[in-house]
Amino acid sequence: MSARLTFAVPSKGRLMEQTAEYLAEAGLRLRKVGHDRGYRGEIEGVDGIDVAFVSASEIVSELNNGRAHLGVTGEDLVRENIANVAERVSLLKPLGFGKANVVVAVPRCWIDVSEVADLEAAAVAFRREHGRFFRVATKYVNLTRRFFSHKRFADYRIVESLGATEGTPAAGTADLIVDITTTGATLAANGLKVLEDGVILRSQANLVASKVASWPAETKKARDALLARLGIEAEPAQR
Amino acid sequence: MGTAPPANFEALEAQARTLLAVFIAAGHEAVAPPIIQPAGVFLDVLGESLRGRTYVFTDLNGEELCLRPDLTVPTCRLYLERHAAADRDAYYSYNGPAFRFQPSGADAAHPREFRQAGIEAFGVADREDADARTLTLVLTALAQAGLRGWDLKIGDLALFDAVLAAADMPERWRRRLRHEFWRPDAFRAELKRLTSGPARSAAAFPRALVDALDPGDPAGAESLVAAHLEEGGMELIGVRSAAEIAEGLLAIAADAKAPPLSTAAAELIDSYVRTRVPAPQATAHLRKLVGKGRSGIAGALDAFERRYMLLEESGLDMSGVEFSAEFGRNVGYYSGFVFEVIMASLGPASAVAGGGRYDGLLKAVGAPHDVAAVGGAIHTERLLAAVRGGKR
Repeated sequence: MSARLTFAVPSKGRLMEQTAEYLAEAGLRLRKVGHDRGYRGEIEGVDGIDVAFVSASEIVSELNNGRAHLGVTGEDLVRENIANVAERVSLLKPLGFGKANVVVAVPRCWIDVSEVADLEAAAVAFRREHGRFFRVATKYVNLTRRFFSHKRFADYRIVESLGATEGTPAAGTADLIVDITTTGATLAANGLKVLEDGVILRSQANLVASKVASWPAETKKARDALLARLGIEAEPAQR
Repeated sequence: MGTAPPANFEALEAQARTLLAVFIAAGHEAVAPPIIQPAGVFLDVLGESLRGRTYVFTDLNGEELCLRPDLTVPTCRLYLERHAAADRDAYYSYNGPAFRFQPSGADAAHPREFRQAGIEAFGVADREDADARTLTLVLTALAQAGLRGWDLKIGDLALFDAVLAAADMPERWRRRLRHEFWRPDAFRAELKRLTSGPARSAAAFPRALVDALDPGDPAGAESLVAAHLEEGGMELIGVRSAAEIAEGLLAIAADAKAPPLSTAAAELIDSYVRTRVPAPQATAHLRKLVGKGRSGIAGALDAFERRYMLLEESGLDMSGVEFSAEFGRNVGYYSGFVFEVIMASLGPASAVAGGGRYDGLLKAVGAPHDVAAVGGAIHTERLLAAVRGGKR
């Protein structure tokens, strides 16, 4: 039982469909077991694998705490939710779907701000005028902190936003945002532009392996069988 | 883990009574500001870097609150609750817990929960006198609690401001340097950048607009920016006004045209920032460094010297005190005199007490105008450890 490999795949939405398509291209079919709306499944024709259908963000925590061995999830979620990524998981392969960029976006009318460095100058004047730091609305608290710290920009404060982030500057609850965008259309519709050096991460769905799950020989065998079918080399460290 | 073992409780209580008795006898009313504070005040005043070390949470009403990371801001808020006009002087003292996340793990020297005992003096017009009294009172309390053989370090951020003011450069460059002061690497990089060429190329910005802006006509610049936005179909959203955006563009245009900072001015600033001398030599050293005839610096140096004399008159032995020009850069709100009490047994990263002047903080917290303010706080667990260590 414990030697079986747990493979976590997205349970809903476009990401679930694309994961199923990706596996189908390799001739692998996901099948739910139990009643129709069950959260467990298996892969037809590959032994020793339990499929767990969970939300993409939960997949990250399952990999991070070792309850799942492999999973399909966005790199943005991995880098946001795991502090020491390299120690906890391996990003085995970008899968070519679920593409989106995590970006810093400011109001288009800020024609005096085109790079993060300009943000610094604007922040000094803003603080003098309004007596507070810029507010950055985002759900990517950790990615934002790391990026701004790398860019030596410190005059901001994060307001956590779990939905409709792109509307916060117009609403006045934030001054700029860090959010995910695919085409930029939503940002533009909300009067925002991406800073020239404001792409924090070009994210896409990845096949991710947990480094903290237990990997007995039988589990490794199941993994190697799955990866072989997908045409992916496991990292040498994983053997 | 991270909190004092129970055996310390009695000792800490007794120590706190000693410290508070000294403060109260000197006319500092004992107050107990709330432990739970609105997070916004701290985060707007201290910035995101402190948020990483503040325990922030949301209550059931969705209000963002925090466990206070220090007692200075809560005491400022208490003063403003009592005196909203901030129009009178007040002397407070306190002893109570403060909370900070320790990124590299909590230990005895860096607990996540610790007790601060301290004083604040608000609205006292004679700044040097209030500075000297604050330091003297903190040292008296430390001595009363049994501490001996400390090292004292002092600095003065008003001197740094004066050195910047005396150097020939646009005001916004000074703002930028002041702003980077507390990050040594960024500060040096900025200084170098200002001496080596245009501070910012104007190429990334709407060229025709930038060329049309007249620095002497801010109102005209504002309407040009408003017209440019309208023409480009860019809605003016958010809190920043067209005037602020125009000001930003004017600064960019001016930066692109301004001659670089002279090497002599940059060297003066750099050698000032690197100054570390015994306090008794500081005034003479600094007068020599900055030369004569700079009236702005002379005023700040006179204040520094007067404070020094007041400290000496109070009976403090200044011979072992170190003056460090860059000291004080790591806390955002200090604006003048700063001090720190170090024990060799605990090391320089674990100051037993510290404080300084922060004339801009009350306004940031909601006062209608700047209020003269100076204070000092004692890290009581460290004090106890140092006193006990000294007896062994």
